[in-house]
Amino acid sequence: MNGQFSTRVITLMPVAIAINIVLGVTVQQVLKLPIYLDSIGTILVGVLAGPLAGALTGILSNLIWQYAPGIGGGTIGPFAVTAGVIGLLAGLWGQLGVYRSRPASGTSLWLPTVIAVAIILFLASRIYGNPAYNDPAYFVSWYSTAIVLVAVVVSVAVVAWVVVKRDAAGAWVALAGAVTGIVAAIVSAPISAYVFGGVTGGGTDVIVAALRQGGSDVLNASLGQGFFSDPIDKVITSFVVFIIIASVSPRLLARFPNGERLTASAA
Amino acid sequence: MRDARYAYAGTSRQVLAGVDLDVDAGRVVAVVGPNEAGKSTLCLVAAGLAPIAIGGRLEGSVLLAGDETAGLAAYQAAQRCGILFQNPATQLSGTTSTVWEEIAFGPRNLGLDIGAIVERVEGAMATLDIAGLADRDPQRLSGGQAQLVALASVLALRPSLLVLDEPTSQLDPAGTRLVGDALSRFAAENGTAVLLVEHKTGLVARIAGEVAVLVGGRIVERGPTAEILADPALAEHGVDPPPAVRIERAVAAAGRSGDLVGLDLAALEMEPITGSPLPTGAPLPTGTPA
Amino acid sequence: MIDAHRPGVVPDFVLRPPTGSYHALNPSTKLVLAFAEAAVAFGVRGWTGPLVVIAIVVATAMTARVGRSLVPFALAVIPLVASILLVNTFLFPGATDVIARIGPLAPTWTGLEAALQATLRVAAFALSVAVFALTTPTDDLLADMERRGLGRRGVFVIGAAIGMIPRMVERASEITDSQRARGLDTEGSRWRRIRGVVPLAAPMIIGALSEVEERTMALEARAFSAPGRRTILRPLPDSTGQRTARWAAGVGAIVLVAASIAGILPVP
Repeated sequence: MNGQFSTRVITLMPVAIAINIVLGVTVQQVLKLPIYLDSIGTILVGVLAGPLAGALTGILSNLIWQYAPGIGGGTIGPFAVTAGVIGLLAGLWGQLGVYRSRPASGTSLWLPTVIAVAIILFLASRIYGNPAYNDPAYFVSWYSTAIVLVAVVVSVAVVAWVVVKRDAAGAWVALAGAVTGIVAAIVSAPISAYVFGGVTGGGTDVIVAALRQGGSDVLNASLGQGFFSDPIDKVITSFVVFIIIASVSPRLLARFPNGERLTASAA
Repeated sequence: MRDARYAYAGTSRQVLAGVDLDVDAGRVVAVVGPNEAGKSTLCLVAAGLAPIAIGGRLEGSVLLAGDETAGLAAYQAAQRCGILFQNPATQLSGTTSTVWEEIAFGPRNLGLDIGAIVERVEGAMATLDIAGLADRDPQRLSGGQAQLVALASVLALRPSLLVLDEPTSQLDPAGTRLVGDALSRFAAENGTAVLLVEHKTGLVARIAGEVAVLVGGRIVERGPTAEILADPALAEHGVDPPPAVRIERAVAAAGRSGDLVGLDLAALEMEPITGSPLPTGAPLPTGTPA
Repeated sequence: MIDAHRPGVVPDFVLRPPTGSYHALNPSTKLVLAFAEAAVAFGVRGWTGPLVVIAIVVATAMTARVGRSLVPFALAVIPLVASILLVNTFLFPGATDVIARIGPLAPTWTGLEAALQATLRVAAFALSVAVFALTTPTDDLLADMERRGLGRRGVFVIGAAIGMIPRMVERASEITDSQRARGLDTEGSRWRRIRGVVPLAAPMIIGALSEVEERTMALEARAFSAPGRRTILRPLPDSTGQRTARWAAGVGAIVLVAASIAGILPVP
């Protein structure tokens, strides 16, 4: 059986699903941080095995987390849609070769970095300028400041990585993560707002409350929380996946469907 | 195998550089050698997993029950040749709640009818004498027991050849003893051809009729077990001789060979050290070894 | 040891026939019911939807004699419910019908109503999930789905994932213990805990991934990629009545949700 669902992929998926759930539960219930870290497995499978496998990994992770005896509970089930989208995107980035190590120097090192940072700041400015978060009658736009701060921190991390590791892929990985995060936020917000009344019981509810305090309506408050948490979470996750892939020998990577696009091509 | 040469996918170095090896029905052939000699690769090539399941380039001829492995599908190779790896935990499917179902995993995959499945499961359990474990949870067994279940689930496919890749190297002494005993009974009673790759030459001495020494991807020596293991040149190839041989040499070096007359050293090395009964086994360790 | 082992036949501890009237229903029936309940609980706006679902769920729980076991599941949603009540009552956007002014806080009736409805939805959903989890062993569900055409690969992925989670949790606590022995602080301030995640997550992920190659080969060595359908060891009984019930529940849920969205459902 070859193609996207070879036996190797079938072996990888349960491991990825279990990683998603165990880390997600740890972060959500034990550490109570305003991020999720429950998509490492999804993005890993997407990058290694393609969009369909990635999407399925995400969807199954959410459904199993919700319905499996012993673990089940919480609100994670309906977000299977988001998880599927994340997996799909990860497959897309994988096929585009985003996660391939690109040792470089000079212009080929700085150019992608500049482009990536520019795009990140551009996206941040769109969120920043959204009137839902800026009504001066309610509050000083602390949220917009926070978004800019996030964007700056991410950009600095990207630059630092690229400089230290001399690997231009860092820029593209961060960009892929940021875009995935933004899309995830957009997909999740309606689910959170209409299904659960805007809150999920995790650490992120603080942000939702603060945004509502400032006058945002239910949907925009959820969206705003998403724009804060998701890009950070997905950028971190994407880097984690990138590090993992970079540390696996090319010999083993080649056995996965997307393997060739992940190994730095020999001259 | 005739002049088998093999390189992993994505590499150019041939890990096996021309191996000739035959294993006949009812015989046990052991392969020893230093690390990085290609012993594990040899196992994968012999079982057909290389190149069928992991890619790579195979040249030369590898025949399983008369068919070239290159032309087989993975499930066909599995029915001709079974393979047992070192780590019991990764060989259990993780999807079954009883040992019985775990052993039935293979025959079920082939779509055999229920009667045939029951027959094969019971046969495999009887061969290894583990019928008492049938209703146990596979993930709560000791290392040795789990390894036997893994072996049974492979034997349930009724292969005519069995490859064992260091089957006891990750087991504690109790598990090693358990599996070693089961293997020696199996080798003595069964008509299956067995290829055993081992570090622990003690086990080799017990069950193998013939030993081949693999160095640098080639077989450099071949012969009856007692001869090869007693050969002083073995140490140059990075292989430790079994305890019995070492005892004999040490005693001979001290000039006291007469003390060993009448001692059956091979049986001696299998005695429990403390004399206490075998423990029932701690639960399977969940982490991979450091 | 097995007492009643009859050679030549699949043993009882493998067949594991379910006991009890609700438990004995086909797993797919229970699954469809759970999904229908979830759909109605979330899709039918207002008070009626969730309340009806809660009633059905409690009734089925009583029939299946799992009523008492629902309590932990109910308790598990308390943090979420607290969050919902607080955030929505006090911070519902655009609401002006204030209940009382307590300093700077202004809870509203609209907010409270929305909060209570959301709470009911969450409770209904959580309880329907609970009843399903308590009455349907995963093995049964997967066996039935395989019979209906899910295929061995789907069954393997789901089954292995569920089986792997407890092992991974054990491994995670092993890693935490060994890190703690090396002086890593795993409790205490938030910053410390964040820093504690990386040394925990990395070995766990790498350890899990390093097994993938061997697991793949072990599967192939057991003819996992053979063509055709796998033999079914445990046929689970189904009936026309259940089939009808499944269709009715599925179609009914869709109709109710659609009617509610279209605004033509005349219930509070």
